[in-house]
Amino acid sequence: MTTLNPTEINLANPYLFLNNEQHAAFTLLRREDPVHWNPGPQHEGREIFRGFWNITKFDDIFAMSRDPGTFISGHGITMATDPENAGPAAGLGKMMIVTDPPRHVRLRRLVNKGFTPRAVTALEPHIREITTTIINDIARRGSCDFVTDVAALLPLAVICDMMGVPKDDWQQMFELTNQVLGGDDPEYQAEGADTEQTVNQGHIGMFMYFTRMVAARRAARKEDLVSVLVDADIEGDKLTDEEILYFCYLLILAGNETTRNAISGGLLALAEHPDERQKLHAHPELLPAAVEEILRWTSPVMHMARHASRDVELRGKQIKQGDKLLLWYPSANRDEDHFPDGDRFRIERSPNEHIAFGIGEHFCLGAGFARLELKVMFEELNRRLPDIELTGPVERLRSTFIGGIKHMPVAFTPER
Amino acid sequence: MKVTVNADLCEGHGRCQSAAPEVFRLGENDQAEVLQAHPPEELRAKLERAVRLCPRQAIAITGDR
Repeated sequence: MTTLNPTEINLANPYLFLNNEQHAAFTLLRREDPVHWNPGPQHEGREIFRGFWNITKFDDIFAMSRDPGTFISGHGITMATDPENAGPAAGLGKMMIVTDPPRHVRLRRLVNKGFTPRAVTALEPHIREITTTIINDIARRGSCDFVTDVAALLPLAVICDMMGVPKDDWQQMFELTNQVLGGDDPEYQAEGADTEQTVNQGHIGMFMYFTRMVAARRAARKEDLVSVLVDADIEGDKLTDEEILYFCYLLILAGNETTRNAISGGLLALAEHPDERQKLHAHPELLPAAVEEILRWTSPVMHMARHASRDVELRGKQIKQGDKLLLWYPSANRDEDHFPDGDRFRIERSPNEHIAFGIGEHFCLGAGFARLELKVMFEELNRRLPDIELTGPVERLRSTFIGGIKHMPVAFTPER
Repeated sequence: MKVTVNADLCEGHGRCQSAAPEVFRLGENDQAEVLQAHPPEELRAKLERAVRLCPRQAIAITGDR
């Protein structure tokens, strides 16, 4: 990292994240320019998308997240989304994550029952069974790609089961998710397709799949979330087919890409901090705290965008109505004001009130499942493959949105 | 001071119960219950922490007394 001047920092550059240099940039911004104007990236003299404000302090992100009237979600939640010209993949005003109160509150109450602590706890045996099957499949091999063979499979299986997607279609859901959320990465782009085309392909594929499924559930209900959505009723309003499809799309995306990267990033963090890992092996009761530290450390969703609904001043900067602001969670979660030695991975950190799941109106609906999936996965890994280690460099996802790992070669003593 | 939980917002994340178990309990229906609506002043710091930790901003403290 050679940049020393905040004006030179460009968080629209995916290579910053690909090279794992983002934390040096965040540290500098928190210290020198915590509300930082980032010009839109240019290509051949033309702006690809509009500039935005980078918000990097915990307290600012916390306060803005809890003021959804001033900092709205309905105009898009990613860096490149143009509210005036957004494609169908962005789902503005239709998909829960890009709606605002009071509509957001009503949509959320439709699905909330499936995500309460009781619902989460009830699924623990099921989550352990899936985890056991995943580890059984690799345990005798002695080596694998930890991302595609392990980390990706657990959250994918859990969300697909909840929604009623049969096992034969899980791989398809995995591939479509990668196209939508990893569309900026060459590995997921079809020959000759750019980011936007890749994202749209994934979006269309997902909608076609769930169009068939919704029709099937209308004909015959099952015990799954898609049936719940078909029957959903908000004060007499039914969801339209389009709204149901956006719900399915959101749940599949949010349910599998994020936890995948917390599991992979968690194993990577433990591998890079052998003392912490040894501590965890010696004291399994530290696992819940270790899970929180993994969440803080990895912060897999790197940003959510908000748009100012009115002119507002932030730390002396004049934010205009309509301006885009990016809330950088990995930066908040290493803010010196809240996390002394935040650049150290310490599984016993306490307090550890990170905001890896956001906070306020749009707090991650699936946080309970993510925490439980992480706990069960690391319990089983520590028990069955205690010496699992990296055997080569990890391949990171090229993205400014998801802090992702695509591949991670590992080896371990095979089970007999 | 008076403590209230907005049932429309509460999703039963249970953070209030860990911050101030004297005042909150996760009830049968996965919603936070207020055990004492007018808690003593010495619990204020704990209650303010509960307000801050609630992911959904469902808790309110009113009245200074």
